[in-house]
Amino acid sequence: MSDATPQKRPGLVPGILSVLMLLALWMAVAGLADDPRTMPSPLAVAARIVDLAVTGELWLHAGATLLRVLASFAIAMALGIALGLWMGRSQRADHWLNPALVIALNIPTLVVIVLAYIWIGLNEVAAVTAVALNKIPLVTVMLREGGRALRPDLDDMARVFGMGWWSRLRHVVLPQLAPHIAAAARAGISLIWKIVLVVEFLGRSNGVGFKIHLLFSSFDVAGVLAWALAFVAVMLLIDIAILRPWEAGANRWRRDEA
Amino acid sequence: MRLDLAGKSFAGRSILGPLRLSVERGQRLAILGPSGVGKSTLLRILTGLDRDFQGRLDGGERLAAVFQEPTLLPWRRAVANVTLPTGCDDATARVLMAEVGLAGHEDKFPRQLSLAQQRRLSLARAFAASPDILLMDEPFASLDPDTAGRMIDLTAMLLDRSGAGLVLVTHDAAEPSRLGAVPVRLSGNPAILQTDEASQPPA
Repeated sequence: MSDATPQKRPGLVPGILSVLMLLALWMAVAGLADDPRTMPSPLAVAARIVDLAVTGELWLHAGATLLRVLASFAIAMALGIALGLWMGRSQRADHWLNPALVIALNIPTLVVIVLAYIWIGLNEVAAVTAVALNKIPLVTVMLREGGRALRPDLDDMARVFGMGWWSRLRHVVLPQLAPHIAAAARAGISLIWKIVLVVEFLGRSNGVGFKIHLLFSSFDVAGVLAWALAFVAVMLLIDIAILRPWEAGANRWRRDEA
Repeated sequence: MRLDLAGKSFAGRSILGPLRLSVERGQRLAILGPSGVGKSTLLRILTGLDRDFQGRLDGGERLAAVFQEPTLLPWRRAVANVTLPTGCDDATARVLMAEVGLAGHEDKFPRQLSLAQQRRLSLARAFAASPDILLMDEPFASLDPDTAGRMIDLTAMLLDRSGAGLVLVTHDAAEPSRLGAVPVRLSGNPAILQTDEASQPPA
């Protein structure tokens, strides 16, 4: 969140430079190792990415992964916000649900995935459910803090004027939760796509995780890196093109316009 | 609106004693008393925000409130702060804003307005709800005398025109007469209403 930093912006230079330095380091290590099979050079990986993009394979599998990411993200955010808001506003709900929340936070990701596949079946519902279940407790914890900090005076105002529940949620509650939702979303989307890969690795027949599974069996390091980097680029794009502008819009009222 | 209060206590300590109070459209009542006596508590009961008391509150009138603080939605523009809580239309909101002297500020966010402007916006919001009874909790406190005076005249004008009833909570004995309100005094422990002999409150 950039509430208090309207100073000069650093621009793109440091970001691009640091990426270039990482690439140079990678080049150097690949040159020293001199073993293209286990440590391929950035150029070899870039060639693989271009290859995947040209054959269309990239869009097919990255698309499948992206759909799973979006579906589980939407479910996890919706349920996590509802649960967190409830626990933040009602002490009773907090007392009763907190132990379950602590347990849920500490169940290993892998256990949830394996159980979901066993209980629900090797299908899409199980995959999305497993990812969402892994993420819901984290969203809940972050939103509970927001729910506790809601302003009681605005609540009173809304009640006196008889605002409907939907209007109250939209204009009174959600704007106060926006910073917490944004933080949960940014933290969530990167966590979720990593879990989606595990889910695909273990039990799906398409998606980036599935491709990595195949490449792992043939120890194709260049292929693994190509898929991973291509998808990192997609997720960065989502962060820059969707999440950041939304956050900036939601925080517009904090800045002086005149 | 009629309140028949048997008592109100916080954590075992009695704040308000038995009292009766009723207000209808066109009637104006001012509740005076030193700070901490329970005026705001009484007003919260009247607004329906505090239901934890012994007694009965009857009414079905449309209410609106002006709180001690402006209590605006900082993330919504000024005009939306009038339309969203009250459900009035945009044109009505703009007319009311112009009447309280906020023409030209419609698209500002609350933090871009001065405190006096925010209070006037909160007054415009209250009248936008076209209430039968307006409840005000120290709405002129912490304003300089000039600004407070203008705000009182504005309130009186809007009350005259809309015909709404008024319950005003204040510690300033000069305010009730300027608004044409019948003063009653809240005092004692637990606090009860005492009538000034000079003016008969509506019973």
